[in-house]
Amino acid sequence: MLPYLVVSGLTTGSLYALVAMGLVIVYKATTVVNFAHGELFMVGGFLAYTFHVLLKLGYVVSLVLAVVAALLLGLVTERVAYRPLTRAPAISLVLAAVGFSFVLKGAARQIWGGLGDYIPFPPLVATPAITLGGLILVPQQLVVLAGALICMGLFMVFFTSTRAGKMLQATAENAKAARLAGIRVDRVYAFTWAAGAATGAAAAVLMAPLTFVYPDVGSPLLVKAFAAAVLGGFGSLPGAVLGGFSIGLIENLAGGYIHTSFTDISAFLVIMVVLVVRPTGFFGPRAVRRI
Amino acid sequence: MRTLRIALTIVVALLVASPARHLMAQSTPGVTADEIKIGALGALTGPGYLYGRLVMNGAEVVYNEVNKAGGVNGRKITLVREDDRCDAATAIAAAKKLIFQHRVFMLHGGGCSNASIAARPEIEKANIPWVVFASVADEVTLPTAPYIFSTALAASIESAAQLEFALQQGAKRVAVISMRDAWGRARYNPLMETFKRKGVTPVADEEMSPDANDATPQVLRLRQANPDAVLIVLYPKAAAVYMRDAAKLTFKPIQIGQTALGDLLAFREQVAIPNALERFYTISHVRYTPDDPEMERWRGLLEKYFPGDRLSVYNIMGIASANVVVEVLKRAGRDLTRERVRDELAKLKDFNTNIYPGVISCTPTDHQCHKTPAFMQLAGDKVKTIGVTTVTR
Amino acid sequence: MAPLAGRRNVFGLAALALAALPALANPYILYVTNIALIYVILAVGLNLLLGYAGQFAFANAALFGIGAYATGLLQVKLGLSFWIAFPVAVLFTTLVGVVVALPALRLSGLYLALVTLAFAQFTQWLMLNWERVTFGAGGFRVPALTFGPVAPALGLYYVTLLLAGLLVAVAWNTVRSGIGRALVAVRDSEVAAEALAVDLARYKTIAFSLSALYAGVAGGLYSAILSFVAPEGFDLFQMVVQFSMVVVGGLGSVWGSVLGAGLLVGLQEALRAFKGAQEIAFGLLLMACIIFLPDGLISLVKRRVPGWEEPLRAPDPPA
Repeated sequence: MLPYLVVSGLTTGSLYALVAMGLVIVYKATTVVNFAHGELFMVGGFLAYTFHVLLKLGYVVSLVLAVVAALLLGLVTERVAYRPLTRAPAISLVLAAVGFSFVLKGAARQIWGGLGDYIPFPPLVATPAITLGGLILVPQQLVVLAGALICMGLFMVFFTSTRAGKMLQATAENAKAARLAGIRVDRVYAFTWAAGAATGAAAAVLMAPLTFVYPDVGSPLLVKAFAAAVLGGFGSLPGAVLGGFSIGLIENLAGGYIHTSFTDISAFLVIMVVLVVRPTGFFGPRAVRRI
Repeated sequence: MRTLRIALTIVVALLVASPARHLMAQSTPGVTADEIKIGALGALTGPGYLYGRLVMNGAEVVYNEVNKAGGVNGRKITLVREDDRCDAATAIAAAKKLIFQHRVFMLHGGGCSNASIAARPEIEKANIPWVVFASVADEVTLPTAPYIFSTALAASIESAAQLEFALQQGAKRVAVISMRDAWGRARYNPLMETFKRKGVTPVADEEMSPDANDATPQVLRLRQANPDAVLIVLYPKAAAVYMRDAAKLTFKPIQIGQTALGDLLAFREQVAIPNALERFYTISHVRYTPDDPEMERWRGLLEKYFPGDRLSVYNIMGIASANVVVEVLKRAGRDLTRERVRDELAKLKDFNTNIYPGVISCTPTDHQCHKTPAFMQLAGDKVKTIGVTTVTR
Repeated sequence: MAPLAGRRNVFGLAALALAALPALANPYILYVTNIALIYVILAVGLNLLLGYAGQFAFANAALFGIGAYATGLLQVKLGLSFWIAFPVAVLFTTLVGVVVALPALRLSGLYLALVTLAFAQFTQWLMLNWERVTFGAGGFRVPALTFGPVAPALGLYYVTLLLAGLLVAVAWNTVRSGIGRALVAVRDSEVAAEALAVDLARYKTIAFSLSALYAGVAGGLYSAILSFVAPEGFDLFQMVVQFSMVVVGGLGSVWGSVLGAGLLVGLQEALRAFKGAQEIAFGLLLMACIIFLPDGLISLVKRRVPGWEEPLRAPDPPA
């Protein structure tokens, strides 16, 4: 039983990790948690469905179109729900994003809600399950796992080795100083939100064959992704991936060994214990208070 | 101080003298010379909208067609929808608004069970006929109330049918996988009672969250118990993920679903693994799936009135239920009162909608009018009805 | 002479209107107003924690639920009357609030949000799974409250109105007292507060306990008006609604929360006209309020109408 639970824990965890990455990307530059991310993810999935299944465009074309559309939607979110609120307290930003998520979810329900309950999405490769040394894997799960790791790798390279990535990090550390150094902070923010949303859409397309497409797919995933990101220290992409894997593993192990009624809550129980004992999570920096 | 005293006197006077306007008797509310207002209560927003808005869409298609043909005894039907958001407090507000502000003639609705249960006392007090179209919890219609009737297959009936079918197929070891939410519990509790009545104990009892993306722990634990049959009390997403992982881990007992999984062709598309549904049977609330040729006419009408939508099992539930409402309104005649509708409902016997698997029959003491679950299976690309049973609660 | 449109006159008039409402309104309007008053209690309590003490915690919806469950269960399982079950439940909820405060003392920002979110999920899970005690997902009925010769809806309405008035008055006095000043010190700068000998632990605990007490009262009244308790009404969506009331009304303003609660309940009912598009309409309005009135509706009132001053400002925007 254990090897199966570990493997499924990692594959489920990669779902959370992929969604969490979109959150962390936005946070890294703006220190804002984008609570509309779940719905940006969901809309990306529906758009890909519309292009690929309803309009019969090719898989890759649909993926690209969905990502581009999400990119634009991310820019809109930044313009509408973030830029006017840079001077407002954190709770206002959260609520503005949540308000936007209601708009997206309601719109999706009105437009696509009558198509069915949980709409299936064709997988990237339609091969049957593969057996790897006694363990059975659904190919799409491997695709998601690979996707999560590749995404993490790409963004890490971006942040550490490219000029643009370094500008993003600089802006996150100190926006005033970045501005003084000549960095177009507004453009950095816009880019970040676009990138976060695009990551969400790509994640949705990769995950859609496993999660199905429906207006409420984003919310439960967002809660877990948020937990994963915080566990990982919230500024760290590898942290988010590790956080996602951890939650997936905890869920599967608790469900398998204790009882399946513990699957959903086990991660939160662990989080409560961890945060009481170690208030900065697994990988967070030691809390430094600014005076 | 003087102003305060004057103000207080006015308030008290108003309270004492007010004629409690809302209680004033009126000629039958919701009925005019050419209109009947029917209130629809259910979820329009939130995940519960499948059992609210989509079912209402189906009902409205029927009402539109009836109106086109001249209405019922010369009156056109207007459907007024109110959202209960699958939440108790909102359901009570929606019921009150329909009864006291919109002043509808009768209610046709009820999606999420908890919302319906919460709204029930309010509706009961108002002596307004209520035909339940989707809420399955037995507490919605029990204890029997004079004006409340249901065309939805009750949870206790379905659960009993699930277990009986398993035993009929020769299963000796029966396991259960269910969801912990209100919908799941409404079925799970009567299922456990049926187990007890038959002197059988489930060999495994596992749970799944409605939004779960993986069922490996569930399948592994069920497999350990080695059941002959598994009773599935899950929504389509969880059920599809479960069947997918069961196929992946080569766990192949008889799998028995219920009305949530009634659209077998759609379910097959969701599970997406060839031959995964070989030993899968399910109960259906209605005789047909959306792809059946008999549903062609309804498909055309639904897509005409609600462009962009696709005919689904939820719509068909509404269509079937609305047929019952229309029939009862017709029988109540031109001199339409709530009491006459109540009486017609209480003596509705053997009414064939041609959509429900069996006939609709209510009695003065049994207001659960739909008692005939149909068992279905996939044979190749066709959905085959294996049998229709009648279960009295 | 108090200004004509000043706070005292406006709320005096509102109190009279609310007292007279049952004579003029149909049962639907009465019910909605009763619900709004319950949310006023919730919002004012939450504001003490969020707006004054600056603690971004997600536990309030769960505490609201605990208040409702405790009140209902004490009646159903132990046969106590509502008038005994209610205060006991409020006390219990306040104690839970104190327990929640303990980890909160060491956490801030995102970690506080996460741990209180985990607590909220855990409470939902208990409500669903601990069936022996909570009756599980199907919820349970609470015997209807009777008030002798007075109609139940009427009696409950006046009880709620009185409690709401009382608790708002208590909150108003608290924020104008030393406690209020200490809470604001904690919010604006923990380091500076400590330097001024403000006991962080004590005041954070007070903030959590007060908001829990208010949530407990609101929960008990909620169970009475619905005569039904089920897990759905106490989830994350409920938390969002409560946050919205506080922020739309005005963070750090008692009267703002009163306005915000009343307005949002009224709005949710008014938006019924949009049928399926309600989610969209609500989201748009929420965004509009936050973007165009970042200091809340109360700031609009304060700017235009004399007589609405409050002693402590809303939190300063981050530098």
